[in-house]
Amino acid sequence: MPTIVVDAMGGDFAPEEVVKGVASVSLETSIQCVLVGDEKKVQSELDRCAYNPEQISVLHAPETIGMDEDPKEAVEKKKQASLLVAARTVADSRGDALVTAGNTGALVLACSRFFRTIRGIRKTALASVFPRQTEYPGQDPLALLLDVGATVRCDAVELVQFALMGEVYARRISKTASPRVALLNMGKEENKGGEVLVRAYRMLRSLSGINFIGNIEGDDLAKGKADVIVCEGLLGNVVLKLLEGISEIVVDLASLASRERWRWKLGLMMLAGGIGRLRDLTDYASYGGAPILGFEKVVIKAHGRSTARAIGNAVKVAAKAVRDRVPEEIAAGIAQLL
Amino acid sequence: MRTFLRRAAQAPPRFCVFRWDLDKTYLKTEFDRVRDLVRTAFEKATDKVAAPGVATLIRSLRRVAEEQGREVRVFFLTASPPQIGRAIREKLALDGIVHDGIVFKDQLQNLLRGRFANLREQVGFKLTELLASRGSLPEEAVEFLFGDDWESDPLAYSLYADIVSGRVEAAEVEEVLRLLGVDPELRSRVLDSMRTLPRRDAVRRIFIHLERRTPPANLRSFGSRLVPTFNYFQTAVCLRCEGVMDDRGVAEVGRALVAEAGYDGRRLANSLADLLRRGHVSRRDARRLARSLVREGLFRRGELPEYLAGRWAALREPSFWKGWFRAAAPPPALPPIDYRSLAAELRAAR
Repeated sequence: MPTIVVDAMGGDFAPEEVVKGVASVSLETSIQCVLVGDEKKVQSELDRCAYNPEQISVLHAPETIGMDEDPKEAVEKKKQASLLVAARTVADSRGDALVTAGNTGALVLACSRFFRTIRGIRKTALASVFPRQTEYPGQDPLALLLDVGATVRCDAVELVQFALMGEVYARRISKTASPRVALLNMGKEENKGGEVLVRAYRMLRSLSGINFIGNIEGDDLAKGKADVIVCEGLLGNVVLKLLEGISEIVVDLASLASRERWRWKLGLMMLAGGIGRLRDLTDYASYGGAPILGFEKVVIKAHGRSTARAIGNAVKVAAKAVRDRVPEEIAAGIAQLL
Repeated sequence: MRTFLRRAAQAPPRFCVFRWDLDKTYLKTEFDRVRDLVRTAFEKATDKVAAPGVATLIRSLRRVAEEQGREVRVFFLTASPPQIGRAIREKLALDGIVHDGIVFKDQLQNLLRGRFANLREQVGFKLTELLASRGSLPEEAVEFLFGDDWESDPLAYSLYADIVSGRVEAAEVEEVLRLLGVDPELRSRVLDSMRTLPRRDAVRRIFIHLERRTPPANLRSFGSRLVPTFNYFQTAVCLRCEGVMDDRGVAEVGRALVAEAGYDGRRLANSLADLLRRGHVSRRDARRLARSLVREGLFRRGELPEYLAGRWAALREPSFWKGWFRAAAPPPALPPIDYRSLAAELRAAR
């Protein structure tokens, strides 16, 4: 059974929600977890939960990297921060995967410092999932977008590598037999988007083991045309933030509408069931987290506002990625490319 | 220096009494549904299943006492009816448990006398029987009580311990028993016992087996005399620190968990570390025991946290030295227990 190292102090609701999430995993599964953080605080939270002590160990880390701290400075100064101790623990093979809801920048830096990249991988990629329309029952309601911020600019080979890593992850974690991979571009035609995207398009088309469906545009993202969408970090991050912004605006508008007129409020109440289902479908807590791909170790970044349920699911996703040997499979795919 | 000299394991009492609850503590009994109750009533001894490691623990406690030339008594107290006594006795014999008595709850009498409230009420029954049994023991007898988190064991045992030690007044006991709806006859028997029993701090520890995974913080109001444990390996470790168990016994309980419930070294090492974090074992005792259990082959050094494995890297950590000179087990700090509110909570939960 894999051992998942969890940064107990990372996230807006840490350590309470993180500890609760790990406690529930200890009762539901046989996954071993190492909680890294202030031992007293962690134990105090554990004491208030139903948990199985046989599957939880605690590793003391006296410092914490805040969500708003400058990642570079924090990683340099806080050597005993829970995130760094957790990463070091995984690097020393005392754990199989790292899960955190903490500072994303610090996580990327910590991973680069402690983990080796898979042989042949030129740049690692931060992935994220977002909700999209489904075409058939049982289809994963979430698509994988990468990179969303680990890089700024990429060349064609790096984009191809992102596609391959995303394809392996989607195939293993979403159980999509042959994930459809697409490049995010400003047009569907092969020659759109400049030299890098055109070259990446041609390289992906020539690869036999990958279900490349070509370019997709921004309006195709939510339509569910692709399971894995590849882009460089700058663009991916803008897209991700845009999607999050829209979702917040929709929620704000709905609450405004419910306050403005009783008829609108009544309408929203009548739609409550459907809205609830939609929320369940797109609730980040149900998928838990997204991976940083390209390292020899599994790294799952949970949402900063993760609740216990989200953390629990992130731990389960990490365990699944370890069991399904996602890094090894990516390494095998990259080796074929070389 | 004085603390340094005190740090050796507590001196074991010359006369030890181990009192065990049966259902959910010794036996893995299911009584969530009526069907389970009926099945339990007709179960044969061979069908009954003991909680992993418990039989080994009780056998080891007796062995250690006999090897050290101490007096030992093992009693069972259960709310099960005497009609299933034969199967219970046979089960204990099958498990190799030598005991000095089992007390059952005569539910048939309660039914015939129309005392239906007594059928579910356990505190009055347990308290009466515990006090009656205490009266037949030598004054020096030191007790260890074992129960679970399903019913009222924490309250009944703590109340018993405080009655015996004289920490609680008769008026408070009467009010608490009334709050719990204890039968007037049982109430007066408890109060009679209080008048005649010699006062002595006789109950050293109360172990509550967290069969329902109750959060340990929920039991904090009972003070540090009560130790919530998640498995019998943890119980064995605490008893080792009390001086009534030896390293071999702890290892045997660990091996029983491996054989009976599929435990591995990692799970046992984590259990030990959990006890340490919750403050029921001192760092020094935990480290010494960990070394011994590594030698016994129960777990590998690599499965232990750094501060228990004694790696050189851990020596640099200030936390490694914390509690180094502390006594073997933290002495039970016993602020007064608010029995009235605990009784009200229990009543509301019924």
